[in-house]
Amino acid sequence: MKNINVLVVDDEEPFAVNLSKLLTRRGYTTATAENGLTALRMIGENPFDVVLLDLKMPGLGGIETLREIKKKRPEIQVIILTGHGTVDSAMDGISLGAFDYAMKPITIRDLQEKIDQAHERKLLEEERMRSFVEGMAEKP
Amino acid sequence: MNRSPTESVSSTGSDELLGKAYGGLYRRFVTLTLVCSALPLLLVGWIIYLKYASFSNERMVDYFQRKVEYNRRIVELFIGERTRDLELLGATHSLEYLRNQENLEAVFAAINQRNLYFEDLGVISERGFHLSYVGPYDLMPNDYSVTFWFRGLMEKGIYVSDMFLGYRKVPHFIIAVLRREDGKKWIFRATVYTEALNSLVESMKLGRSGEVFLLNRQGVYQTNSRFGAKVMDKASISMEHFQNDSGIRIIEPETLPASPPPVRQIMAYSWLKEPHWLLVVKQDYDEVFRDLNHANFWTLVFLHVSLFAILIVSIVTTRYMIKVIRIRDQEAQELNRQLLHASKLASIGQLAAGVAHEINNPLAVIMTENEIIRDLGEEMKGLDEGFKKELLESLARVDSQVERCASITQGLLTYSRRSKSAKQTFDINGSVSETVALMKRWAGTTGVSLETDLDERLPPFHSNRFQLDQVLVNLIANALDAHEGKRHGIIHVITRWDSKRNGVEITVADTGVGIPSENLDRIFDPFFSTKPSGKGTGLGLSITFSIVKELGGDITVRSTVGEGSEFRVFLPLESPPGIDDHAQPIGMDDTDEKHQRPCGR
Repeated sequence: MKNINVLVVDDEEPFAVNLSKLLTRRGYTTATAENGLTALRMIGENPFDVVLLDLKMPGLGGIETLREIKKKRPEIQVIILTGHGTVDSAMDGISLGAFDYAMKPITIRDLQEKIDQAHERKLLEEERMRSFVEGMAEKP
Repeated sequence: MNRSPTESVSSTGSDELLGKAYGGLYRRFVTLTLVCSALPLLLVGWIIYLKYASFSNERMVDYFQRKVEYNRRIVELFIGERTRDLELLGATHSLEYLRNQENLEAVFAAINQRNLYFEDLGVISERGFHLSYVGPYDLMPNDYSVTFWFRGLMEKGIYVSDMFLGYRKVPHFIIAVLRREDGKKWIFRATVYTEALNSLVESMKLGRSGEVFLLNRQGVYQTNSRFGAKVMDKASISMEHFQNDSGIRIIEPETLPASPPPVRQIMAYSWLKEPHWLLVVKQDYDEVFRDLNHANFWTLVFLHVSLFAILIVSIVTTRYMIKVIRIRDQEAQELNRQLLHASKLASIGQLAAGVAHEINNPLAVIMTENEIIRDLGEEMKGLDEGFKKELLESLARVDSQVERCASITQGLLTYSRRSKSAKQTFDINGSVSETVALMKRWAGTTGVSLETDLDERLPPFHSNRFQLDQVLVNLIANALDAHEGKRHGIIHVITRWDSKRNGVEITVADTGVGIPSENLDRIFDPFFSTKPSGKGTGLGLSITFSIVKELGGDITVRSTVGEGSEFRVFLPLESPPGIDDHAQPIGMDDTDEKHQRPCGR
């Protein structure tokens, strides 16, 4: 068990379910959300480390969802996962704070790499934040 | 792009049709110009010419008529004056005085004192015999009572004769007046010098060919004619032509005697009152109308030269116009073709993006399903090893096909998002050299060599280097493919500075199999490929075309089947604005993958 909580946000249910299954088998704790609103609600209720976020979704789109995630839980690392392949939107995502982006279809190994890197980044940032807070506390 | 050995390029069928169309246009323009400009000129020119000729002709005829009337009055005046001289002498001198020889000689000397008009002078009795005579002939014994003039004189009292020989046997004419004195009649008669009349009439001649002469009612010359006829010769012209008191006639050559050489003549005539002679003024028609004809000739010359000039100007102008129209048409045609192509590319780009997205999602599902089956297969215990091996191999094949589909959709996506790229300043020759070096490794053992000929004058180039590399890679890869089936070949990559267009021309020429002419118009179309299924997406040259256009350049191709192809890419020194300088460079096919890798921080 890797102790990494992953939320898969994709309106393509079979993909989200399969990805969830595969990641679970590889030791990740996963959950799925079929749209942006559900994802935001779940993020509010659960401590996710990494979110795999589809860009094109009905209702609240990927970019808007990302913006909201970063507002509410900036420490969560978001990997944009899209089948559209437009670099524009992926770059928009990066500029809004997404950790990385990947194009569908992607192999589970590649995705695992990205998730692990994202988790490491999260841990690093948490460590940095903790040091910062402790440093502030030590100051008279 | 696969190429087959058929005949060379250059389709000329449509060119011929176009040539015929321009030929028709050319003929219509020339005809229209001629009709609009030459026809009015011709019409006005000929009307002026005919009117002027008619007017001038009337003026000349009028002048000729007045001339003959004037000359008639002079001749009448001359003869009338001589008659009055004689009458005056007869009235002022008595018969007694004049029959004295010495007195008559004194009178003769007196009247010839100023002008020598009278040849002789005689006083004749009522019975017809000379009473006295002064003159060069011996006429004293002659009996004149039997002569025609004597009888005419007795009837009319004054008589002017025609030319006749008389007793002296020399052509002459006489003037005689009948006098009455104390119941007795006597005759005062004089002979006028024939030469005096001849000189007077001859002085009236006109120009080089003109002549003036007198005829009597029988058509006998009363004076010499300028061209040979002598006094008392019979004229060859019929007197029936001169029925009126005066008139003017054009005499055609056949009605004239052979000498002088027959030419068309104009002849005016007028009858004298006393004597009843005919004064004829005659001149060659051409001489009379020479000035008029001269003016008319030059009018016609000017008219026809003008027509010729209009024709030449019309032809030259029309040729120039057609040339300009042709160039404009070609430019418009090329622009239309490019617009059509660009619009086609844009539509296909949109479609490609949509299709790629729709396919990528199912592919992603297939790939995950595959992974799940693989996981299950590996976890399931008690499975036959052979079955397990076969299952995993089958799953690997599914993966492979999914990747193949993914590469196709990546090509489509690359096609649809080419526009986002970064500009930088770089050495174009360096870029070409690096790409060629890379492609040399690819060429490997194919037997095809790559050679470069780089223009060292090239200035630094501000554009998208990545896109330029992509163009070169595509063209060189295409050139390598063109040598499939050939054991050897050469690919030349040439750069040249184009100072006129302020840009660089990059040529990639190969010695491959060439492109059939029927495919030349389609090679830049997306998905057009002659490679076997699975070997090419048909997007390479299409992407190349789009990139070149995007960079503000153009690309042309020439090909001869069996000999090779030559792609020429022109790129301006500065690519047009609008390219996003901050975006990430995007590649295609094999190079795409690395740019899809994380841009993680």
